[in-house]
Amino acid sequence: MFWLAEGLVYRRQDSIIHSLDPRVKLIISFSLFILSLFSSTIFEFTILLFAIFLLGALSKVLRRMTKTITFSLTFVIMIFVINLLVGYDLIFSIIISLRFIAIISSSSIFFLTSSPDELDLVMRSLHLPYDLIFAFVTAVRFVPVILLDAVQIIDSQRSRGLEIEKGSIFKRIRNYIPVLIPLIVQSIIRSEELAEAMESRAYGFSKKRTSYYTLHFKRRDYLILCLHFMLVVLFILLVYFFHL
Amino acid sequence: MIEVESLYFKYPLSNDYVLKDINLKIGLGEVVGIMGGNGSGKTTLIKHFNGLLKPTKGTVKIFGKDTREESVAYFSKKVGLVFQNPGHQIFSDTVWNEIAFALKNFGFEEEIINKRVKWALEFFNLTQYKDTSPLLLSGGEKKRLCLASVLAWNPDFIILDEPTVGQDFLQKEKLIEIIKMLITQNKTVIVVSHDVEFIWLLQPRLILISNGVIVKDGDCKSVFKDNAILEKCGLTKPQLVELYEELYPLIEQMPVDIVEAHSMLLKLLRGSK
Repeated sequence: MFWLAEGLVYRRQDSIIHSLDPRVKLIISFSLFILSLFSSTIFEFTILLFAIFLLGALSKVLRRMTKTITFSLTFVIMIFVINLLVGYDLIFSIIISLRFIAIISSSSIFFLTSSPDELDLVMRSLHLPYDLIFAFVTAVRFVPVILLDAVQIIDSQRSRGLEIEKGSIFKRIRNYIPVLIPLIVQSIIRSEELAEAMESRAYGFSKKRTSYYTLHFKRRDYLILCLHFMLVVLFILLVYFFHL
Repeated sequence: MIEVESLYFKYPLSNDYVLKDINLKIGLGEVVGIMGGNGSGKTTLIKHFNGLLKPTKGTVKIFGKDTREESVAYFSKKVGLVFQNPGHQIFSDTVWNEIAFALKNFGFEEEIINKRVKWALEFFNLTQYKDTSPLLLSGGEKKRLCLASVLAWNPDFIILDEPTVGQDFLQKEKLIEIIKMLITQNKTVIVVSHDVEFIWLLQPRLILISNGVIVKDGDCKSVFKDNAILEKCGLTKPQLVELYEELYPLIEQMPVDIVEAHSMLLKLLRGSK
């Protein structure tokens, strides 16, 4: 299960996308996310997913993006089967499944190429309350930590004879109790320790927070943003007005 | 008997091998220390001993049975693994149920479960906490509880991953006593640790790992003489070994504990008078 965490963690890398202003990355990811919501044909999704994977390749995170998608495959299959079962046709079920993949992969572009610090700066530039920003950024930082904890806990309980995948569906659900309780307890302990460490370093003392790093748009950011908007407009024109 | 032959291991979707060409035989009644720097592959190796991890190449056999052939539960009954962090294990409402958990999983009868839990509670001085939530115990008590919950099912091999982390001197002494007692019962104890002083007091067969490769496997005294290997593994020498090296050839053999060092020094001082 270690490899799952890989698909959720930011890693410092040298790529054109990594070096962009995080606000540009957010705009690109968000616009692709919106287009995923409004696209409704297999052709549209083909173009969209091609663009997303091209961005993934440019960011050198394609391999880790595929891990995220592999992780979400269970949900994709569930969505596909449920749609078929409730009476939708095959094409519609495929489209809904592709939409889920597009949503997941478009948002992972931002999270895999932006560090939690950049996420912090972006949220600050949106003038959100700092407590909310801190809680959100901490949650993002803790995802891989909690996943690794889960792996350790599962290994520990399996070493004591727990066979998680054995028995009826209800037994299997019950088998997760010895995993979930330590996981929740560990998360609470960790959050308490974090709160104490933050308070010891005067968190919340000053009302006006300053930042060591500030965000500045560079020429490259403007260029990429313009190019992105041109491509988005072209996509909308081709799909919605020329019905390609 | 644990037999490891040409073991190579890498995690899924990773290019690099974490363990490379590991060959090892560990018999009953041995004390084995596994040491190495952070990320050298110690924990990955011991997770192969009860089948939690399966080799990418090569084989790991426990009493002649390949770990690929049976479940983790099957091998865990013979190989008990005590993890470093008690927080990754403890979940029951009472200390009693925490110890009984594994026994129930292994399908022991109620009568035997009660007998074994009672023995473990008494042996580890935890009887007074039997109805208490294990989450309310201190760090040292939690560590003892984890060891109790593994020894309760009486495995042939006991693997301890970093058993001395967060333990005071008295707890360490108690742990050494327990390990020595287990050896008299023909059990095998494998200790993964960074604590050279603790390892020295155990005088085990010592295996050093660096970058997933076994760089030394031998008698504790000979391993701690090898400066180059120790440096490679990021390890220091135990204080008693340093004392011996400072005083050699005035003292001729390495003292294995403080008592022996004390009597050697006394003899030396009396002789110099």
